[in-house]
Amino acid sequence: MDPPLVNEVSFTAASNPSSYSLAGLLSFPARAGGLGLRMGSLGGGDGSIEESTVTEQTGGNGGAKRRRDVGNSFDDGSSKIVSAINANQDLNDSNSKRAKVSGSRDENDVPKTEAETNSGANYKPAEMSKPEPPKDYIHVRARRGQATDSHSLAERARREKISERMKILQDLVPGCNKVIGKALVLDEIINYVQSLQRQVEFLSMKLEAVNSRLSPTIEEFPSKDLAIPPFDANGMLYGSQAPGEYARGSLAEWLHMQVGSGFERAT
Amino acid sequence: MKTEKNLPRNPSSIKTRFAVKFLQAMNKMNKRKNPSTSMAVKYKRYQFIRAAATSSMASAVGPRRAWSRAVLRKMRNHTAIHRFPMNNKTRTTRRFPITRRKRSSILRGNPRQEDDLGFGQEDDLRGLVPGGQGMDFCRLLSETAHYIKCLKTQVQVMTNVLHHYST
Repeated sequence: MDPPLVNEVSFTAASNPSSYSLAGLLSFPARAGGLGLRMGSLGGGDGSIEESTVTEQTGGNGGAKRRRDVGNSFDDGSSKIVSAINANQDLNDSNSKRAKVSGSRDENDVPKTEAETNSGANYKPAEMSKPEPPKDYIHVRARRGQATDSHSLAERARREKISERMKILQDLVPGCNKVIGKALVLDEIINYVQSLQRQVEFLSMKLEAVNSRLSPTIEEFPSKDLAIPPFDANGMLYGSQAPGEYARGSLAEWLHMQVGSGFERAT
Repeated sequence: MKTEKNLPRNPSSIKTRFAVKFLQAMNKMNKRKNPSTSMAVKYKRYQFIRAAATSSMASAVGPRRAWSRAVLRKMRNHTAIHRFPMNNKTRTTRRFPITRRKRSSILRGNPRQEDDLGFGQEDDLRGLVPGGQGMDFCRLLSETAHYIKCLKTQVQVMTNVLHHYST
């Protein structure tokens, strides 16, 4: 939705009650009552109402649920947006919309859209029955005192993801559960990875020594391991899936390519 | 040898596939009879075994993981250089995106690192996990988790092979 459309909708809503934007949910007298109520409170503070009007206007594009949220926070008296925010890009959209809408609004529009907001909040039960549009975005709800702009939300989501993965890693690394603090945990992880890599090096050294000592007897060793039934991609460890093209034959071939050429490099 | 008893329970596990590949590589190395026991040859054999372990692990995992992809790419590039020393141009073009990404992250100053840790450990971890240079931190952590699992498997299998050889 682009800003011109928003303005048009609000304008037709203001001038022509029969084409009201809240579809058939609102009966005419009820809307009039809401309008009167809001008109009364309009005298109180002009600035806050202007701001929240704009807020409502941006919320109206997000669908019925969002409109309701805005209406609720409105009743609490806070003009802060505590509603669900879809994604960064969506929020940016609504930001630009907000700027445009507030720029193009004149004094006459204010009471009418105010009325729309208020009636939207009053007729919440009626709106409940209305089938909601499918939500294909993630709702991130901000707690009191938390920032709600897109960057903060994205950052918070990212932090949660990081701490979740840190927890997984802590379970993997022995003795890491008792360690407190991200930096120390990372230290442990780094040490563990290093020790494992060194272990592999050490083992290949040992294997080299053993192997060169008794190379003739090893010849038949892999043959029994090759007698394994063909691989299927089902029961992979670690929940990972083998792609279809890596059947056993091609894998062996690939390894041949990889390791064989690596050997030529090494010798 | 206790052939029947040693058949793996889960033939398609990463562990089994790694073992098979690794043993194939070892077998191949042993076929090239090199009776010399000089230090250089031993070192090369050690290097080969290490490379075989790494690339067997990576190819057992397959290209699904970033770290295994990085290992395989590195192996391929290495062999490409050694086989066709003239062919450096294609290699640099293939590598260009990575260097560009690195450079841009340097230019940006990577503000994430400071507000997360600020100890430079992230870079240490990046150096340890193959292909860790171009990842963001979330990705790096999940890749590290998988990499640790695979390293554990590798150590286990290699220890078993060693036991088998030495007995």
